[in-house]
Formats: sequence, C-alpha cells, structure tokens
Amino acid sequence: MTDGIKRRDFLKVLGVTGAGAALTGCSTKPAERFLPYLTMPEDITPGVATWYTTVCEGCAAQCGMWVKTRSGRAIKVEGNPHHPISGGALCAKGQATLQHLYNPDRYATPMVRENGALRAGTWEEAENLLAERIKSAAGNVLFVSAHMGPSMTELVNGFVRSVGGRRVQYDALSDAPLREATRIAFGVDALPRYDIAGARLLVSFGSDFIETGASPVERARELAKMSAVDEHRSKGRFVYVGPRLSITGLNADEWFPIKPGAEAAVALGMANVIVGGNTAAAGPYAPVLRAFDPRSAATAAGVSEDAIRKLADRFMNEGPSLALGPGVAAHHRNATAANLAVLILNKVAGNVGRTLYLDGGPNTPTRPYADMEAAIRSMAGGKVGVVMIHGANPAYTLPAASGFKDAFGAVGFKVSFASAPDETSAMADLIMPDTHFLESWGDSEPRAGLMTLRQPVMLPVPHFQAKHTGDVLLSVGKRLEHDLGGTTFYEYLRAQHADLHTPAMGEWEYGWQDALKKGLVQTKVPPRHTDTQLRAPHSALTFDAPPLDGDGDLTLLVYPSPRFGAGEFANSPWMLELPDPVSKITWHSWLEVNPATAKARGLEDGDFVTVTSPYGSVKVPIWIYPGIREDTVALAMGQGHTNFGRWADGTGGNFMSEVLPATAVQPAGVLGVNPMTLLPAVAEQPSGAFVTLATKVTIEATGEQRRLATVEGSNGSQEGRPIAPAVALASLKPGEPAESPSVEKGLKELQGVGGFVPVPAHGGTPQAFPLEGSREPPYDKPEETARWAMAIDLDKCTGCSACVVACQAENNVPYVGEDQVMMGREMQWMRIERYYEKVDATQAGDLDVRILPMLCQHCGNAPCEPVCPVFATYTTPQGVNAQIYNRCVGTRYCANNCPYKVRVFNWLRYTEHIPEPLNWQFNPDCTVRDNGVMEKCSFCMQRVREAENRAALENRGPIPKDGEIVMACQQSCPAEAIVWGNIRDPNSRVSQVSANQRTYRVLNDEINTQPAVNYLKQVTFHPVEAED
Amino acid sequence: MKKQWLIGGTAGVLALAALAFARAQDAQQAANAESPDNYPSGQPIAFPHNIHAGSKPGEFHIDCMYCHFSAERSVDAGLPPMSLCVGCHQVIPGTKNPQEIKKLMGYWQRKQPIPWVRIYKTPDHVHFPHARHIHAGLTCQECHGQVQDVSVINHRDPVWGGDNMGWCVSCHRKKGVSTTCAVCHY
Repeated sequence: MTDGIKRRDFLKVLGVTGAGAALTGCSTKPAERFLPYLTMPEDITPGVATWYTTVCEGCAAQCGMWVKTRSGRAIKVEGNPHHPISGGALCAKGQATLQHLYNPDRYATPMVRENGALRAGTWEEAENLLAERIKSAAGNVLFVSAHMGPSMTELVNGFVRSVGGRRVQYDALSDAPLREATRIAFGVDALPRYDIAGARLLVSFGSDFIETGASPVERARELAKMSAVDEHRSKGRFVYVGPRLSITGLNADEWFPIKPGAEAAVALGMANVIVGGNTAAAGPYAPVLRAFDPRSAATAAGVSEDAIRKLADRFMNEGPSLALGPGVAAHHRNATAANLAVLILNKVAGNVGRTLYLDGGPNTPTRPYADMEAAIRSMAGGKVGVVMIHGANPAYTLPAASGFKDAFGAVGFKVSFASAPDETSAMADLIMPDTHFLESWGDSEPRAGLMTLRQPVMLPVPHFQAKHTGDVLLSVGKRLEHDLGGTTFYEYLRAQHADLHTPAMGEWEYGWQDALKKGLVQTKVPPRHTDTQLRAPHSALTFDAPPLDGDGDLTLLVYPSPRFGAGEFANSPWMLELPDPVSKITWHSWLEVNPATAKARGLEDGDFVTVTSPYGSVKVPIWIYPGIREDTVALAMGQGHTNFGRWADGTGGNFMSEVLPATAVQPAGVLGVNPMTLLPAVAEQPSGAFVTLATKVTIEATGEQRRLATVEGSNGSQEGRPIAPAVALASLKPGEPAESPSVEKGLKELQGVGGFVPVPAHGGTPQAFPLEGSREPPYDKPEETARWAMAIDLDKCTGCSACVVACQAENNVPYVGEDQVMMGREMQWMRIERYYEKVDATQAGDLDVRILPMLCQHCGNAPCEPVCPVFATYTTPQGVNAQIYNRCVGTRYCANNCPYKVRVFNWLRYTEHIPEPLNWQFNPDCTVRDNGVMEKCSFCMQRVREAENRAALENRGPIPKDGEIVMACQQSCPAEAIVWGNIRDPNSRVSQVSANQRTYRVLNDEINTQPAVNYLKQVTFHPVEAED
Repeated sequence: MKKQWLIGGTAGVLALAALAFARAQDAQQAANAESPDNYPSGQPIAFPHNIHAGSKPGEFHIDCMYCHFSAERSVDAGLPPMSLCVGCHQVIPGTKNPQEIKKLMGYWQRKQPIPWVRIYKTPDHVHFPHARHIHAGLTCQECHGQVQDVSVINHRDPVWGGDNMGWCVSCHRKKGVSTTCAVCHY
C-alpha cells in the first residue's frame, strides 16, 4: 500500500462532497416561477411562433414584412414573400428595426420641460399641455414630419387645418432632383419606374440604388437577376460611373472613375455619340447635346474619350439598356441637370417605355430641403407659436449653417414625437413618445396603386409608455373640440379604408381581415403614361460641373451609410457592429482616402487627420481605399451623435469598460463624426434638394493614430489563395457539368499531421457523405437521411450584408463592442469577404471585386473535429458540423484549426450584458450561449428541427419537403443568392443549383475538407488569370 | 491508515464548507420569501393532480391533454390558462379543499397570474419537443411519473431527476431513435 491519495480516490471524495453541495444547493435555489395566462389569446400556442404581416418603416422603401412572435414578443422580422417590393427579403436595416423596438434608451414616459430640465410626465398632463399651448398659439402651428403613410398624412393635415397652421415634410434623404428632372423632361410629377432586370446594360451615374434611394431591396433583387448568367451563357453588364465605389459600385463590371459632378457631361457625351450628327433627336435639348461632344465630356470627367464612345456604342447596341441618375451621394448644385442629362440619354437610346417607365414609380420621399429652409426662416422670424416634430431629426441631419437649432430654439413651445432620444427632442419642451411601427396601426403606399397595411404585432413594450401619434392628435383634437374623424387611430384608419371592399364581395370586415393577413390592399392601377416626348426646360439649367466651396485640394463626398441611413440606425449595436459592406470597419467613423493620396502625404490606415472645409472641421481616422479617386475623400452619414442613446453617443460601445476597471480599457479614440459639420446648407436649384456634394476640403495629419476596428484580415487581397475564384464569361462551356477537382496534392501534404488523417474523397461533392473510412459509424439508412448543404451564387451576391444581421437575429449572436472587435473577438457567424482583384481609380476600365459570404462550411472532413478533446464538435448524420455548447470547455483548439476562420468564441459574458429589454429579442428556440463556449453557424439547427418535428407529426417521413426549411441568411437575401436543402435529393433546388460548371468549394482542393457549402464562381466579362 | 484519515478529513472539511454555504443560502431565501399565501409545499395553491387526473373513486380522470393541450402540438407542454381552471371551478366550489379554490378565484378576480413554482424544467441547452414524444406514443407518465396519483407536485419524478441525460439516452437507444447530440442540443 502506498501512502498519499491516488488521483482516483481524490476524485471520488471530491465527487461525494460535490454532490452534497449540489444537493443542498438545489434546495436553496430560489424557486423559478411559471406564470399562466389569465385567458390565452386565440392565436397563441405556447412554444409555437405566431406570425403577423406588416410593413417595415426602417426607410421609405416600405418593404412588406412577416414578423415572428413567440408568446407575444416579436423576435424576428422577415420579408413577406407575397409583397411585390420586398419579394420576401429584407435589408440589414430592416432586420435591425427590432433593436429600435427594444431599444433600452427609448423614452419611458412623456417628458415635460420644467425649469429648464426635462422630467417625466403623464399622458393626461402632456395632452392637456399641448392643447393649451396650441390654443394660445392662435393658428401659428408648424408640424414638421418625415414621409408618412397616407392615413397618417391625412390625419396630420386635418389636424393642422383644424388648429390653424401648416405641415412641412422634411426627409433627410430625398430624391427631389430626379423627380424634378422627370417633371422637366416629361411633364410627369413622379419618380420614374425602372425595369433593371430587363436591361442588358445598366449604367449607374452615382446612383447607389441597392443601398439607399427608392427601393434598395427590390433593386438589389433586380440587379442580381440582370447580372446573373442565363442559360444562353450571357449576362447583363453593369457599369458604375462615379468618383467613389459604394457597395453598389463594387458590384459593377466596369468603373468610370469620373470627377465629382461630371455625370451630366458623360451622359450627354454618350447621348451625343448615340444620336450621331442628328442632335435633333434630343428635341429641345439639341443645343445641349451639341455642347457636350465626347471630347469635352472626356475632359470634364477625366476619363478617356474612347471609353465614353465605347460605352455609348454599347448603350445603344447591347440590347435594352438603362441609365440611373445621381442619388443622394451625388446631390451637387447641378443635380437636377445631371438627372435630366441621364433621362435624355435614356430617351435617345430608346429606353423610355422599354426599361424606364413614367408610371407606377416608387412613392418615396421627394420633398425638397427648400421647404424646410422656409420653415426655418419662419421659426426664426418668430412666426411660429408651437412646432411639432414627427419622425425627423433635423438638429442632427442638418448642418449648423442651416440655422435650424437657433430657429427651433427660438420657438416658444417645441413638441417632439420621438420614441427615443435624438438631438431634436433634446431641445423640446414636451416629448410625446410615439410607438414603434411594430406596435402600431398604419398604412403605406410604396408606389402608386399599391396600398399596404401595417398592424401591431405585439402590445407596446411595457417598459415604455408610448402612445401612437395618431391617437395623441385625435385626443388633443378632442380637447380642442375638433372632430378629426375618430377617437382612436385604429378607427380612423379603418374609416380611411372604407372603400377597401365592395358590398358585392361580402362583408367589409372579411375584406379587412384578409387585407391584414396578406398585408396588401389592391387599389386602382395608375393610368399608363404614354407621352414620352421631351419637353423644354422652364428655366435655364447648367449641365456643367457644379461649383464647390473652398479652395481645398480634395473634394468631399458625403454619402448615406448602408448601415445607418442618415443616422436613424446609429443606436443599434447590430448595425454598429455590422462590418461596413465596403470598408469592413465596425463601430467608428473613417475617412476614405485613395492609396496614392495617402502615400503622397505619408498617411497610413488609422492615422487621424483633421478634415477642414470652409464650414467646419472634424477629426477622423483614415482608411485607405482603392475605390475612390485621388482628388476625392469620402465620409459616411449617420454617426457622431450627441444625444441619440448609449451606443450612438459612444458611451455603450465598449464592453470592457463595463466589466473591467477603466485603466484596462484600450482607448478607442473618436467613435463617430457627423459629416454635416463640414457642409453648407444649400438647396439645389431648381429641385430644392439638400446639397451633399458641396465643398472642397483639406486634410492634415494630427500625428495621432488608432487601430481600426476592422474585421478585415488581409487588406482586400486573397494572397494567392483561391478563395473566391472567378470565371470569364467567354470560358464557360456549353452544356458541361461541373468538373470534379482532383484532391491528390492536398492529401499528400497533410499526411501524418497531428493525427489528422484525411480520408479519401469520392466524387468530390457534398453528396459523398459520410465519407468512406471516416471514423463516424456508417449510418443505417443513408437514403432516409438528408445531407444538408448550401449553394451560394457569387454572381448574384451583392455583399449587402443583410444575411449577417439576419443570422445574428435568428441565432442570438451577441454584439461585443468596439474594443472587443479590435481584439478580433467579433462573434457574427457570417462575414462577407471583399477582395480587390482589379480596381483602378485613374482610368475607365474593368472592375473586379470578389465578394464572398463566409460561414461554417460544414465540412464532411472537418479539421475542427479531431482536435476537440471533449467531442463538443462532430458531424451529424445529416452532415451538419454541430457544436454542442454544453460539452464545450473552451479550449479553442477547433477555432485554431479551422481554415475558414468561422468559429467564434464568447470571451466575456456578452449575452448577459445585453440590457433589458433588448434581450427580449432572443430566439427561445436557440440556446443563449454564455462565456467560455465556442460557437458558429449551425445551419439554423432550430429551423431544421422545427421542420423535422412538423414532418414527423404529419407522418411525412424523416426529411421535410424541399424549401420547407429556409436559413435565416437565405431568407433575408435580396439577391436570392443562397439556396439550402438536401443535396442527396437530385431534385432539390440546392442539387440543381450546384450541378453547375461554376461550382467550387473553398479550399477543398488544397486541404480536402469536403465542405457542404458550394459556391458558384463569379462570372466576369474580362479574362481572369488563374481560373482554378 | 493514513490514506483513510486523509480521505475522511478532506471529505469532512469539504462537507462542512458545503453545509455552511447552504445555511447562508437558506437564510437568504427566508429573507426573500415572496408571497403571503405561500403554501407550505412551495406552490401558491395546493393543486391536487390526483383529484383531477386520477381514476380512483372520487377522482375525475381528466385527460392530461385537456389542460396541457399544447403538449401534443408544440415543443412546450405549457400551463393551462387560468380561464380554463375557472371554467369548471365557477360551478365546482370543491368538496375536499374549498379554501384552495377560493385562492384560485382570488387570483382570477385580482387578474393576477398564479405564481406556480416550476418543477419540471430542462436546462436551456436542451430542447425537448413534447409533441414529437407524444406522437411517438410515449405517455406523460414515462417522464413525469405517476402524476395522477400525486396530490401536490413538489418534486420531479426521481426516475428522471431533471438533469439525467443518461436516462434520456437509454430510452432513445431502446427505441432505436437518434442519439446524435444535435438532436437535443443546439
């Protein structure tokens, strides 16, 4: 017998006492309470999701939504597939509207200013106060609102009519120049309708149509359709003309890096080539066309005459073409003329009535800034007694030079209907917090002839006593003895749709219920507009490059952020942490600088510079971007808030500061800057739009530097790795199936490495699973077991990043904060890789940027699995690489061994620190992981299990129908680039999509991982070098 | 000899520490005692499953699924809404324990949900779809024990124990259904 305790004995003792502690521990645990409903609502079954149809209010596009609720809480938003605009998809911002609903910074009660400070008040008090003030204002009431639905507009108009005053619409982002140009050219006071999918050559003159503007989701879908290879091995060509490549621009096949403001010159130069000598074809614009021959256009734009001639030639001859006029990022002092020039180009190329229509266009904001300018003047002139602001935040979105803050501050009584703090409500005397759109009734008319209904999907979040502004106005109207047509907005809305259903169709109530279910009300088809003759301009327009203020050497571009819009999404941690689709930077602002410009000034990524315009200056780190001209720098809108909530203001962005002493927190520097600081307040003539491209700037290094909070690891280079290969259109072979690549080389290289014994691959396709010789036991009935697989068409993917946020929402993926991202601890299960292959900002030519969504590849031969000491990760019989959270002990070996860098580790208690009620969004079907656990894409296992359960209950066998299971990323994808299903079934969509000569699997030839994710190579017009 | 002493000593010290810890927690819990009508069992109302679901004389033999109706169509068995209790009890004042039914009606009139103490709960990382199991022909009793014979449920059925994965797996093996981890853990 030996002395001392053997390890085994010691463990026994520990086990016994441990069990004792656990037992006593159990009995003293506070009991978990389990609360029943008093009366269960009809449409709720515990544990089963209830879906409601509504309309997104994230931007003016008004996509149809389906909202998933569980036990009365909204947990996920998805596109309504029956809706003609969203077509079943949503953008990243649409996904993030849930974080506005549960925004912990929302106003909890009405707020009343007393002795200079805001205090909580009651609704009774607030409404009485407002009624009293309106009475004493004696008809001098100003109601400033953003774009609203028809019923709400009607109600507000009725309200201001009754109390005496006027309504001014102010939209931070507006398409006023396009609308004005359409009115001038064709006498139609509406936005044109585009048929992008029907075009074979699309030329965007600075229109960032898949990220901002009238209908980004719809247009992204159309772009994907246009640019996808068809069965004739042909695809539409997309040319981007503009000084900076937005995410829209990065999808182009060719880039014309023209000087800022030279869109009109290029468009007219092209039109000149198209009409030849016959300038009379341009009708009243013949003299303009003569003035812009291709040579002068080339000089004005800084691209070669030859390139313009060639593009014009194609525009005329390569099937139907379409040109889109400048959007918000290119609203300069001649923006209406530039849009008009693009319309003339479309006209002379015969596109009007073919790909561009003058009827049924989007009904999105086109109100000019000039209206607001007038309102500011009347406020400053003391002519306004009460001002009410709804849905707009001009104190942030307008530059100081507009004088808004002073004029607004001078008004005697200021009312804000903001549901959460913003810069404008901070100045208000009374805040009457509106409900979120997911808690509200309403309607919207996204295009003429299409009426959609909005309904509340849950009771208002109980943390906040919000009240629908419609209800407030009706109630205040009653106090003032005005009958506005109803006591609640719900009644009012129903009355507005009294003609929804004719008596012949049955009871009105049925029609209403049906409309709510579908979300659509069919209304009249708008009259066709067939007169497409060009009309003479009513005033003199100049098509030259616009004047820019200041004598700086760089032109400043200010563009709406794909993540924040004009700033309204800046307090959503999902949006802040979503890598910008272009720069891949999270959380903070950056200034885009061309590499040559940076080199000439000795600047590197992360160097702080002071950007100075005649109107102000900001300090911001630079990010070197080859997709911007040398004489141009760019700043995104949307950040640099001062009173917009904890994350936007920069007080909630650092996770470490919450859990560690302040000294341990790495200083991150400036979080965001508001580019409006640098802009004048100018209204473009004649449309009256706000001018964003207005000024020159200088930049000067401050000597300070920071690490960019970027998720990009390789500076946009594939470093010779065939991660996102492409294939030239000319190299596609007729009728040839995808080649099975050889794996010999990779196998030899890996032999004997750390116990990882590769198995021979058969057929090299995801169908070949389980692999022969793999350590998994053979599955009894492989024919009854699905092999789940995904196919992603890179020719369709636009890199918009909607999938990243959809995944985050579905799978309870936490945000981690700026400091954690800087340490490489971001946790999104998906990322969008962006590699530059050919980006030349000095001349017009081919553009080649590869965009690739990267997620767990669900390898059949997964490198992560053999290194896990506790078998926490393994491949399921369905070929899904599963991560078992309760087994995981956090060694992180798997992440180190993953060649795709798709495994993320929860380093700190990220999920626990998500504040109430933001955590109400959690999906109850998916485990909320705590710290110390590795996680990654699960192929939405909860969705798979739900469908399998349903199939079993309906006795349909073990495999759900094809298409019954939809991944969260796939669901949200506007381009419909992602397909998922059972690849063992040759008739499934994923099998059919994968049977393509463009199919490849990332790094499979090199390391034989046998992924379940098939990618379809991007197709280029130009030859590509290594087509492997 | 020395070894025995060491084992005993270590065990003793650890046990004492555990006990002290437990005492401290008990005191904490006493301070947190919530409801004034805390029933000694811990449940706010002494709901007798046997009287409702039992089949002995004087018991009503109500099917489990009458109250826990979502069990056969959802992952959750759910709690019956109080309107379901009241539906019967507004005409059945109770013979054995009328004071308990008075409590129920009290909650109902105050429009206050009964704060039941949750007995059966799988950990968050376990997904147990009730409907699948009922569809496969399992009875409620196989996991929850002979509930229809129990008056007030204060403990989980010892067969299951609440955190005994081996028990789940043994049944899955016996029935020849999947034992792959991701069936329950995701």
